[in-house]
Amino acid sequence: MNAHRKPRIARSRAALVLAMVAALALTAGTALGSRQSGTATTTLTALIGSSGPAETFAVNNAAKAFTKQTGIEVNVVVASDLGQQLAQGFASGNPPDIFYLGNDQVATYAKAGSLAPLDSLKNVKAFYPSLRAAYTYKGRLYAAPKDFSTLALVINTASWQRAKLTAKDYPKTWAQLASVAKKLTRSGQVGLCTGAEFHRLGVFMIQSGGWLVSKNGQTATVNSKANVAAFNFVKSMIKAGSFKLTNQLGVGWGGEGFGKQMCAMTIEGNWISGAMTHDYPTVKYRVVELPTGPAGKGTLQYDGGWGMAAASKNKTEAMSLITYMTSPKVQMGNAKAFGVMPSVKANAKAWSKLYPQFAAFLAGAEYSRSIPTVPDIATVLGDFNQQLQGLPQSNNPKTILDRINSELQSILNK
Amino acid sequence: MLKRFATLREPGIRGHEAAAGWLFLMPVIVILGLFLVLPITMAAWVSFSDWNGNGSPLGANAHFVGLDNYRHLLTEPGLDQNNFGTALRNNVYYVLLVVPIQTAVALFLAVLVNRRVKLVGFFRTAFYFPSVTSSVAITVLFLFLFSPTGAINKLLSYFGATGPSWLYDPRGLFHVILGQFGVDQSSGSLANGFFLGVSYWDWLSGPSIAMCVFIVMAVFTTSGTFMLLFLAALQSIDDSVNEAAALDGASEWRKFRHITVPMIRPTIFTILTLGLIGTWQIFDQIYVGTKGSPSNTTLTPAFLSFNASFNGNNWGVGAAIAFILFAIIVFFTILTRLATRNPDRVPRRRRFGPTQALGDPNASRVASASPGGAP
Amino acid sequence: MSNSRARSDARAVRRRRVGSAMTYSFLLALAVVYIFPFVIAVVTSFKTEPDSTANPLSLTPHPATTSAFHQLYEDQDFPSWVKNSLIVTLSVTFLRVFLDSLAGYALARLRFRGRGAAFATIVAVMAVPGVVLLIPKFLIIREFGMYDTYYGMIVPLLVDAAGVFIMKNFFESIPVSVEESARIDGASIFRIYWSIVLPMARPALVTIFILSFQGSWNELAHFIISAQSTGLDTLTKGVAQLASGQLGSGNRYPLKLAASTLMTIPVAVLFFVFQRRIMNVTAGAVKE
Repeated sequence: MNAHRKPRIARSRAALVLAMVAALALTAGTALGSRQSGTATTTLTALIGSSGPAETFAVNNAAKAFTKQTGIEVNVVVASDLGQQLAQGFASGNPPDIFYLGNDQVATYAKAGSLAPLDSLKNVKAFYPSLRAAYTYKGRLYAAPKDFSTLALVINTASWQRAKLTAKDYPKTWAQLASVAKKLTRSGQVGLCTGAEFHRLGVFMIQSGGWLVSKNGQTATVNSKANVAAFNFVKSMIKAGSFKLTNQLGVGWGGEGFGKQMCAMTIEGNWISGAMTHDYPTVKYRVVELPTGPAGKGTLQYDGGWGMAAASKNKTEAMSLITYMTSPKVQMGNAKAFGVMPSVKANAKAWSKLYPQFAAFLAGAEYSRSIPTVPDIATVLGDFNQQLQGLPQSNNPKTILDRINSELQSILNK
Repeated sequence: MLKRFATLREPGIRGHEAAAGWLFLMPVIVILGLFLVLPITMAAWVSFSDWNGNGSPLGANAHFVGLDNYRHLLTEPGLDQNNFGTALRNNVYYVLLVVPIQTAVALFLAVLVNRRVKLVGFFRTAFYFPSVTSSVAITVLFLFLFSPTGAINKLLSYFGATGPSWLYDPRGLFHVILGQFGVDQSSGSLANGFFLGVSYWDWLSGPSIAMCVFIVMAVFTTSGTFMLLFLAALQSIDDSVNEAAALDGASEWRKFRHITVPMIRPTIFTILTLGLIGTWQIFDQIYVGTKGSPSNTTLTPAFLSFNASFNGNNWGVGAAIAFILFAIIVFFTILTRLATRNPDRVPRRRRFGPTQALGDPNASRVASASPGGAP
Repeated sequence: MSNSRARSDARAVRRRRVGSAMTYSFLLALAVVYIFPFVIAVVTSFKTEPDSTANPLSLTPHPATTSAFHQLYEDQDFPSWVKNSLIVTLSVTFLRVFLDSLAGYALARLRFRGRGAAFATIVAVMAVPGVVLLIPKFLIIREFGMYDTYYGMIVPLLVDAAGVFIMKNFFESIPVSVEESARIDGASIFRIYWSIVLPMARPALVTIFILSFQGSWNELAHFIISAQSTGLDTLTKGVAQLASGQLGSGNRYPLKLAASTLMTIPVAVLFFVFQRRIMNVTAGAVKE
C-alpha cells in the first residue's frame, strides 16, 4: 500500500477547496473591482431624491452637459430613501460629493459637521434672500438653493362646475372654504383632501397666526391658541365630512386622491403638475391661492438645495458642479421639465410666462414660510406627521399639539 | 466513542489533532469574533457616547456621555421616550397576540395533518409554504390584500361589512371595543398618568388596526414552521398510548387534553420561547410595510433603533435601544427556560402507563438533524 | 355481549367517518386560506393597474398583460438585483456549508484543549438576536472599510452558529469505526474529514445548504446596513424600495406583486425539489 498517495489526494482536494474559495472571492472581487475601477479624471457623485422619471432625466442631462463643458465626470445616483442613504453615507465616511438637501435636515447635518459651508459659492448672491436664510445655520450657508415650491389650492374644474360654482366662488376665507367643500362633497368624492402631515396642514397654522416657534426662535409655540384654532377648524371640516385626510382615503398623497377624483380639491405644491400630466391627463384642474385665515394669508414653502459633504475629496470640482446646477439656464430647464420654481430671482419673469396657470404658486412666495433650521427638527416633525394621522379619530387636537410642543421645546433647549 | 478512539491513537497525534482542531474552527471563530463580539463591544461604546454619525465613533467626534442615552429613553420626558414607550407598547401587544395564536394554530394544524388522511402531504406543503417565502414578498402581498380597496375589504363587502382602512388606521383595537360601550379617553383619569411617555389610557389601547395586519401576517407565515415542530413531536408519541386511550373510550378531546398535550409539553415550551424571541425582533415587515405609521402604532423597538440611527442621526440612542431590546429578549428567554424546568406540574395519568416521554420526544430527531436519517 | 360490542364498533366507525369528513372540510378551508393569497399574487401580476385596484379578488385578469414584467426589466434594475442576490446567496451558501462542516467536525471528533469553551461560545453567540446586531454590524463593517462592497454583504453572513451545531450533532451520530481504519492507514485528519466523513454527511450538508440558501436569499436587514449603492441592491432590497414607492408613482400593485412573485421562484423551486427533506430539516433545525 502506498502510504504517500492518500495525503497527496488530500492535498489536491484541499487545493480544490482553496480554489473554490478563491474563485468565489474572486467573483465577488471582480464585481467589486468593476465598481471601483478608477478613471484618470475626477468623478463626482451626486445623490438625488427624484420626484419621477422627468426629474431624473433632467438632472442627468444637466450633468452630461457639465461633463462636456469641464471634463469632470458626474455619477448621478437616484436615492430610494434620500434621508437614510445620506445618513449612511455620512456615517460610512464615504458620502456622495453633492446631494439634495431639504431645509429640515440642514441644521442636523451642519451641527454634526457633515456639511461643507458654501458661502464662497460664485453665484451665492443670485438666490432669493429668503431661500438663503432657509439654508443658513449659525450664520453660514450650507446648501445652494436649487428650487422651491409653495402650497396652493388645486381645484377639479369639472367638479366645480357640476356643483354650480363659478370663478367668483374661489374661497377667500376659511368659512368660504368650508362652504364650497360642503357643496363639492357627493357620493364617491369628498370636497377637500390632503396629506395627514404638518407639511400640508401647517398652512392653517400660519393663516391662523400661529407657527412652530416664537419670533426669536427660542420658544416652541406649537400649542398656541392660534394653532389650536387652526386644527379645530380642520377637525370641524373633517367632522362635517367635507374634508378627508389621505390616510382616510387610502391613497399615498393628495395628488393621488385628486387625480383619482376621490376629492374635488386638494392642498398641494407645484409637483402636482407632473403627476397630473403623466398619470391623470384627463382631469382638468385650476390652481388658486389658499384662503385667508383669521390672521391673513399663509402657506408653506419647500426648499430644495444642493449640499456638499465635508468629507468630499473634490471640493473645488463639487463647488463648480453646484454652481452649474443652480445656474439660471439649468434651473429653467428643470422648471420646464418638472415644474419647480427657480431659486434665482433672474428667472421669475420667465417662469411666470412659462406657467401662467401656476401664478398662485409664485404668488405664495410672498407670504410663505420655511421650516426653522433647528437640529433634529425633522425628527420632531416626523412625529408630528405620525400624530396627525390620528387626527380624524382624535377627540382633542390640542393633545397632539401639546406633545409636539414639548418635543420641539426640548430640542430647542439643546 | 471517543474514548475507544483515543486508545487507538499513537502518542504525538494529540498535538496534531489540537492543531487541526483549531485550524478547522479558525474561520468560524474569527468571523464570529470580528462580526459579533467586536461589533457588540463597539456598539456598547456608542450607546454611551454622543456620536452623530460623522467620522469614526472611535475618533474625536464621539464623546463619553455616560448613561445619557439610556436616560433619554427611560426616565427623561421627551421625543425619545415617547417613541420608545410607544414602540414598546406596540411590540408588547404584538407579542401577546402573536405568540399564543401562532402556537395554537400551529398545534391545531399539526393535529389535523397528523391524521392518516389522503392528500396529507399536499396539506402539509400548503401550510408550510408561506414560511419559505421572504418577509419582503409576503409584506408586499399583505399590503395589497389589506389596502383600503383591496381583496380583504372586497371580501368583507360580500358579507355586507365595510372593512377599515387597515394599515392606515391608528385606532387601538381595545379602544375601538371600549368605544362601543361609550368608554373613551375623556371619561377616565387614565389619560393623566404617564409611563415611558405614554399615558395609561394609551397603554391600554391594544394593537392598532394597522398592527393587526402584521399580527395576522406573523401567524400566517410562522404557523407552518411550528406546525412541523409539533408534527415531529406528535409522531414520536407511541401509538400504543393512543390505542390504550381509545380502548378506555376516552373522547378525542379528552385524549388530546390529557395525553397529547402533556406529552408534547416540552415542544410547546420550545415553540413559545422561539415565538417570544422572534416576535420581539420584528423589523423587515415594518421597514417594508409602514415604517411605523400610522401615528407610530406599528413602530417597534427594532425599527426605532434602526430609524433613530440611520434617519435621525442619533446613533447613541439607537444603540441604547438595541441593548435594551437585547435585555428584554434575554429576560424572556430565561423566564421560559425557568418555566420549562418545572415538570412536576405535568399531571401524570398512571392509567395510561409510564410517561417517560416527558423528556423532549423531539430530542433524538433533533440531535441527528438528519433529513434522511443517519446513513 | 358480542352483540353490544359490534354495536359500539359500528358507532365508532360512524363516528370516525363523521370525524374524517370534518377533518377534510377543515383542511380544505385552511388550505384555501393559505394558498389563495399566493394565487392572487400571481394573477394580479398579470393585471393592469386599474384592474388590480377595481377587482382585487378576481382570478382572471381583464385584460391579461405582461407589462408589469416588462416594466421590471425596463424601468427597474431588476436584472441587477437578481445578479446581486445570486452572487451573495451562492457565495454565502457554499462557503457556509464548508466552514460549518469544518467546525462541526472539529467539535464532534477532534480532541483538543479549549474545545468545550469554543463550543460554549458558539452556543452563546447563537442566542444573540440578529436585529440587535444591525447597528453594531454597520459600525464594524465601516470600520473595516468593507462598507458598500460585496465583502461587507457576504463575509458577516458566512458563519451561522446554528449550522455548526447541526453539523456537530450529525457527525456525532456517525459511528467512529468508519474513520478508524483510515486512521490506522495514517491518513491525515483533513483527508479523513474530506473524503470519508463528508460524503457520509450529505443529508446534513443538504440541510445547511437549504437553510443557508433560504436565509441569505430572503435576508433584508443585513443588506440595508452593509451597502448603499443602487448597484449593490439585492432583490429583497430592491423590492422593499419598490414597495415604499414615491409620490405620484401610484399603487403599482401588478409591478410589486410581479417582483415578489419572481423573487419567490428560486426558494419555491428549492422547496418543491427538497420538499420532504425541508419538512424534516425544519423540525430538526429550528430547535437548538
